[in-house]
Amino acid sequence: MIQFGPAHVIYILEAVRWTVVLSLVAFAGGAVLGLLLALARVSRSILLRAFSAAYIQTVQGTPLLILLFLAYFGLSLLGYRLAPLVAAGLALTLYVGAFLGEIWRGCIQAVPRTQWEASDCLGLNRFQQYAYIILPQAIRIATPPTVGFMVQVVKNTSLASVIGFVELTRAGQIVNNSTFQPLMVFILVAALYFAICYPLSVASRALERKLNVAR
Amino acid sequence: MKTLKFLVLAAVAGWTLQAMPAQADLLSDIKAAKKIRISTDLTISPYGKVDDKMQPSGSDVEIGKLLAKDLGVELELVATTASTRIPNLQTGKADITISSLAITPARAEVVDFSVPYADQLSVIAGPKGINAKSIDDLEGKKVAVTRSTTQDSDLTARAKKSQIVRYEDDATLSLAIASGQADLFGTAFAQIATINAKNPSRELEAKFTLQTFLLGIGVRKGEPELLAWLNSWVKENLRNGKLGAIHKTFHGIDLAPETVKAGFN
Repeated sequence: MIQFGPAHVIYILEAVRWTVVLSLVAFAGGAVLGLLLALARVSRSILLRAFSAAYIQTVQGTPLLILLFLAYFGLSLLGYRLAPLVAAGLALTLYVGAFLGEIWRGCIQAVPRTQWEASDCLGLNRFQQYAYIILPQAIRIATPPTVGFMVQVVKNTSLASVIGFVELTRAGQIVNNSTFQPLMVFILVAALYFAICYPLSVASRALERKLNVAR
Repeated sequence: MKTLKFLVLAAVAGWTLQAMPAQADLLSDIKAAKKIRISTDLTISPYGKVDDKMQPSGSDVEIGKLLAKDLGVELELVATTASTRIPNLQTGKADITISSLAITPARAEVVDFSVPYADQLSVIAGPKGINAKSIDDLEGKKVAVTRSTTQDSDLTARAKKSQIVRYEDDATLSLAIASGQADLFGTAFAQIATINAKNPSRELEAKFTLQTFLLGIGVRKGEPELLAWLNSWVKENLRNGKLGAIHKTFHGIDLAPETVKAGFN
């Protein structure tokens, strides 16, 4: 019988980096896509508004699991052979983009109407309005929900285990199925997720105080 | 998950023929690359697992090593889960799969199988006190299985009056049994000893045999050269006893007579 030993702990610890890498990829890609979508959602062009709304509705209405399967196996059928990390990164980017787009749209629209009108009176163009007046205020409002969602994303990366990508959860599954000591294995895995997510929440609170959201 | 698997399989089955580019034969490709990509799930102990140094181990892994050595190429294990064994083949992410894949008619429609290289004694097991001698005795009872396994599909079809509870993998299943969430469960015979070793108080034993499943090496459709090579390799190693010895080492029992017979056909 194989006992849960140091080699297993090291294996699980090493898998943490893939959870972190996947979270970072998802967040960087998702932030770029999300910003574009948020701006498109509040655009003056009806076409852009309709397209971004349709994208967000579709992706938000699709389980992440299906997105992962489509990115890994679906694209393979069309001739695009993606490595598990790339496929998982792509699926998560599409997913995170849709949610951040909608969160950030709300934050942009939460900036009082009078701020738009005042900047119009000052003769600022659309770009200047966003860059100097609206986005700096929207970012303050956006901080808490964005970090809250970020914590969700870290935990959602565990779904990448279904396509065989060995991140934290999959590493735990592999060790568990050889040692049959689920309590030990999954407490360690849970503790590691906590160790990633808790500092995020703490940093968010510090940032909120600094930006003085509550006023 | 079931629907999902069906969707993926249906999509894959529908598209494979038209979407797959015409390829040179896979056997020559493997030889040219000097590497064979074998998909083996490392969470189906004792077929695929990791040892205490985190090295891949188990009967399927050993068979993969032997096969790669005899073919004279390097072995690359492709990370796989139980439900992605077939999609991995169809989308070319692995050359072959050796991962306790039972030969069933439904699977044979979407992938090709070699002659049986090993088998899996599929049983219903439970604690000593409980009486169950046939499928009929399972009526109205809770029976636990691992999702997407042959026990799952077998019981789903035959034990319609039982409540079938599906778990993600064997370890989760064994935890459910150990913690008393279910008493009876469908599993591979070799699993019972593993679960007993961790939870001696449950005193689990095999109640009756569901089926003996023959396991084949899975290959993408339309690779006759590779399939022929695999068939002759399997037969040769069944005859010289190497496959039987690997099975005995990891499972503690001999190969079923049906499997051994395949070597002499």
